Amino acid sequence: MARTQTKESGLQLRLYIAGNAPNSVRAITNLKAICDEHFASACALEIVDLLVHPQRALADGIIVTPTLVKLLPLPVQKVIGTLSDTNRVCQALAST
Amino acid sequence: MTGTRVRPARALAQRLAEAEATIEALLSGQIDAVVDSKSKTPVLLSKAQDALRASEERYRRIVETSNEGIWTIDTDSKITFVNRRLADMLGYSTDEMIGRSFSQFIPEASEAKAPQRFESSHQETSEETEVKLERSDRSELWVLLKTSPIRDADGTYVGTLAMMTDRTRARQDEEALRKSEEQYRQIVETTTDGIIKLDSDSRIVFANRRFAEMLGYQPREMMGVTVFEFMSAAEKVTAPDSIQRRKIGLKGSFDTAFRHKDGTEVSVNIAGSPLVDTEGQHIGTLGLVRDVTERRKMQSQLMVSDRMASVGTLAAGVAHEINNPLAAVIANLDYVCDSLGRMVGGDAAARSEGMSDAWIVEEIKSPLDDAREAAQRVRFIVRDLKIFSRSPSDEPRGTVDVKAIMESSLRMAWNEIRHRARLVKNYGVVPGVNANEARLGQVFLNLVVNAAQAMQEGRAEYNEIRVTTRLADERVIIEVSDTGAGIPREIIGRIFDAFFTTKSVGVGTGLGLAICHRIVTDMGGELTVESEVGKGTTFCVALPVATHTREYEVVAPVEPVVDAGRRGRILVVDDEEMVVRSVQRILSKEHDVVAMVSASKALALCTGGERFDLILCDLMMPDMTGMDLHRELALVAPDQANRMIFVTGGAFTAKARHFLSETPKEHLEKPFDSANLRAIVQRYLRSGL
Repeated sequence: MARTQTKESGLQLRLYIAGNAPNSVRAITNLKAICDEHFASACALEIVDLLVHPQRALADGIIVTPTLVKLLPLPVQKVIGTLSDTNRVCQALAST
Repeated sequence: MTGTRVRPARALAQRLAEAEATIEALLSGQIDAVVDSKSKTPVLLSKAQDALRASEERYRRIVETSNEGIWTIDTDSKITFVNRRLADMLGYSTDEMIGRSFSQFIPEASEAKAPQRFESSHQETSEETEVKLERSDRSELWVLLKTSPIRDADGTYVGTLAMMTDRTRARQDEEALRKSEEQYRQIVETTTDGIIKLDSDSRIVFANRRFAEMLGYQPREMMGVTVFEFMSAAEKVTAPDSIQRRKIGLKGSFDTAFRHKDGTEVSVNIAGSPLVDTEGQHIGTLGLVRDVTERRKMQSQLMVSDRMASVGTLAAGVAHEINNPLAAVIANLDYVCDSLGRMVGGDAAARSEGMSDAWIVEEIKSPLDDAREAAQRVRFIVRDLKIFSRSPSDEPRGTVDVKAIMESSLRMAWNEIRHRARLVKNYGVVPGVNANEARLGQVFLNLVVNAAQAMQEGRAEYNEIRVTTRLADERVIIEVSDTGAGIPREIIGRIFDAFFTTKSVGVGTGLGLAICHRIVTDMGGELTVESEVGKGTTFCVALPVATHTREYEVVAPVEPVVDAGRRGRILVVDDEEMVVRSVQRILSKEHDVVAMVSASKALALCTGGERFDLILCDLMMPDMTGMDLHRELALVAPDQANRMIFVTGGAFTAKARHFLSETPKEHLEKPFDSANLRAIVQRYLRSGL
């Protein structure tokens, strides 16, 4: 538990997108806005383009884009869609 | 460390939550791509959108390249889209049109008639209607318009899609077709010929007004009726043959007769053409029907008038012919009257002289014999004349003796001939021909007079008219030759043409030879000519030998009355008092004779119970005719009606001819001589009819 506690401040996110498909573009824009506003201090974001790395989808169990995965802090949470519902995204990211 | 491990139940709940979120996102359209579980690669959902775009593009291209003009209008009647085709049709660019009200392009739409015809907010896809649009140059553009409503996802009306097909050209074509049809219709309806179309069963499927008028019907009354129904009884028999010939594909014309609604006969000539379908099957007949009733009448009138002209030119000659014997009749009768007058009113010497046989012979018998002979000649001339006075229509054909007719014609023309030429007759023995006596006489008279007129007057001893009859190849040949001027080669081909004449005005009608030609052709014969200028001309009539062997009418020689025979009671009826008196005078020595000058008085006598052994009755009388008397007697005293002998002057009407041929009736031709009259009466009384 202590380990998790220590890394609580470090938010690690991964966003799976499909090239510059409109919803993906929208999801990136929305996510960046949320991070800037609520988690500006400690937020590591990785963006994975499944069109470039399709095998990553397989490995990570992703079935649609855009999908946001909160890797840390645990538990792992997924948010699917364009991330336009800011409240829901914040809830998911803040969950421990 | 169980804390880091996710418990299965929780993991399942999480997966379900994710799945739910995925479905929700999919439904709300927030998903770009789905990872295909088989190929393990993401499939872009936007590919579907690309496909949609491609499909839109395809529709756009169809719309742009369409032959139809298309626009869409919004709920404010503003044009929101217009394709190039429509812009071109109207002479604008698409940009010029978008945003403007559609009514600017449809003049009608701005009129009071509600513009809903051009919108479709309240209706489903509209019927196609023709609408007039206005081009940028203000010219008309006719289109076939069809509209359908555009609705959004909720079914709310958001505008109208209109598709327009250019009808300007089609309308022009239709107009041209209509005009052309109108033109044909006018031709068909105003032509003086009847036009009919028959189906393969000879039923009338079309009749123009003229045809209907010809027969006194309305065109619609004739539709579907078999054409034969309109024909006269006789034609119904022969007409199907003609139709049959059309069926096997032959064109042709034939003469026939229809029956007018009022019962009269309409003579027509029908030129028929077969109608075939694309496979060559006979599907009907097209007939051009020409009313030739008038022409027929004209033809027979022309013939009559030509005959009148012929008779007219001969009238002087005939008068001369009659006057000579008539002078002898009158002079001799005067002489007898004188002689008898002297005897009756004279002295005893004269009276005793008058009793001597020598005196009677010289003063009475000889002059009376001469008068009688002269009168006989008049009788022959009149008989000849009668040949030429009959109307052709009521004249039956029969077997006739060409020699006898030629003799009559020569007697008629004698006055023309005798100053110009010698007459040479060269009659071979020939059988009778089947012909109409009067018409053949007309032909011969024409040919003989023509021959005479081909020669100068006053040189009779140098010229010759030769009349020949002979038999050749089952045909009777009659030749009339002259030694006159001859016919120049260049006009010989035209001499049988109507109105062609070389004679001066008043001498010839130009119809003679044309009519002769027609008459001879009608009889199944041939009329030909050979001529050499300066030598003369020969006309040759060739007629088929009569097929049936009816004997010519031969006047049986009168048997002398030896025995006065039975004394009978005889009624004489004639409106001519002189005739009545003569008959009475001749018969009253041997019979009891009652004379009446009118049929009605004779009828009254018989009705009153008087009975006669014989009634000699004139056929043609004013008021009541002999025929009328016969009919009346047949009702009140049939035995008397059967005892009638009819006396005729020869000028038969069709009715009289029919009457005499209906049942065999005795008749006696005027003039008759006393021996003849007495013989007939005796024979009649003896046979006790």
